[in-house]
Amino acid sequence: MRQVALNTHISGRFNIELENLRNSVMAMGGEVEHQLADTLKAIATNNPAQAETVILNDLKINSMEIQIDEECLRIIAKRHPTASDLRLIMIISKAITDIERMGDEIERIARLVTKQKLPSDVAIKSSMLSIGQQAAAMMRGTFDAFARLDEEAALEVYDQDNSIDSEYKKLLSYTADEMSRSGDSMEDWLEILWALRSLERIGDRCKNICEYVVSLTSGRDVRHTPLENLQQTLDNLSDS
Amino acid sequence: MLKLFEREQLNLAKLPEAQTAIEVRDLCLRFGDKHVLHNITMRIPKNRITALIGQSGCGKSTLISCFNRMNDLIDNSVTDGEIIIDGRNINRKKENLSILRSQVGMVFQRPNPFPMSIYDNVCYGLRLQGIKQRRQLDDAVERALIEAALWDEVKDRLFESATTLSGGQQQRLVIARALALKPSILLLDEPTSALDPLTTLIIEELMAELKKRCTIVIVTHNMQQASRVSDYTAFLHQGELVEYSDSDTLFTLPEKKQTEDYITGRYG
Repeated sequence: MRQVALNTHISGRFNIELENLRNSVMAMGGEVEHQLADTLKAIATNNPAQAETVILNDLKINSMEIQIDEECLRIIAKRHPTASDLRLIMIISKAITDIERMGDEIERIARLVTKQKLPSDVAIKSSMLSIGQQAAAMMRGTFDAFARLDEEAALEVYDQDNSIDSEYKKLLSYTADEMSRSGDSMEDWLEILWALRSLERIGDRCKNICEYVVSLTSGRDVRHTPLENLQQTLDNLSDS
Repeated sequence: MLKLFEREQLNLAKLPEAQTAIEVRDLCLRFGDKHVLHNITMRIPKNRITALIGQSGCGKSTLISCFNRMNDLIDNSVTDGEIIIDGRNINRKKENLSILRSQVGMVFQRPNPFPMSIYDNVCYGLRLQGIKQRRQLDDAVERALIEAALWDEVKDRLFESATTLSGGQQQRLVIARALALKPSILLLDEPTSALDPLTTLIIEELMAELKKRCTIVIVTHNMQQASRVSDYTAFLHQGELVEYSDSDTLFTLPEKKQTEDYITGRYG
């Protein structure tokens, strides 16, 4: 496994700056993880007050994104990072955009509870929670891989998105059937569909962050690469 | 596929002769018992800026000085290997050093104008070559000062002492003095380390302009400068060439760990 050593610069202050930057991303990730767990609880227990707290907390995540971005800019301007240091800062800047968007998706799902528009169909609700749990597990794995800059763990998590996607597709067609049968307003159904879509998007965002981790450790941009080819590319790199 | 950003990446190991300004083959150099350069082999591309980076004492300045045989001036220096410039090995015994040094100009860290007028400084080398005609000298001085981006600042005071110029102007004057001899290669040994940041940028702009006319090899301790101005970069460590590639690759994704450790400021 390729490793990126962070705390080995001659400049101790630079080491501290990079460590703080990485820790702040972990803290932001932790917040989003917490938000998703709270939202799933709010859906399970139909608790609008808890969902309202999630919506308010999203402001904190937005502010964290801005602060981390500013710190990235400051480090680039003052330290002129190169090679793996530069890649680390660039991927952090991109990863926090994805994390912030995950926060927005979670906020949208939470609004389903505050607006009292949760699906009345028990099957849809439990499938929704099931996808939510999968997304939460994927998110945990993603932040773990990021914390350890662990390429193998990132690839493992990357693969989990397929399962979320297929669950989502199944649920989507089931929901569409229910929609056509039910007499509820179209607007309510659209809210549910958007919330489902948001859960699926969390998986995609996690996938993006896993790609960044692999980019950092391997030095190759692996976006838009199918998993099989990705594994092949990385194997070739290890051999060379 | 649509290419948004074009980057030149010459294959330095297989650079054709027509595109090679300097070819170094198995160059070894020692001062007495002290081996300073070990088996350096590299091809420096024509009309490009090549930077040499590395820690103090790694042999950068010694290597650059080999390109116009300045090391000959140091007692007990022994050079092995070949340096091919213009199709000839300049390390051969019968090499005409005054022709070589007019072909391969050199500028040092501290500006070293001669204690004479700006005009005389620029045409010093030409006079040594035996050119005496005033019109010819005037033309050469004007052209060299324009090329060195100094003409507008000194055209009304050509006969004032060169020592009255500022540090940045003096460095450009020294570059003009080298350019007057129409060198095909310009060696710059830390040309901006004694200058302020803005003057440094002026000299860097000048380098980008000059590479259209000649090949530039620059030794610098300033890695940001190397990444800003150079097309290709060679990293030396303890007299060995560790990595040599296009600067974009070397500063973003170096192949060797030793290079990565050096450019990111890690323990070597």
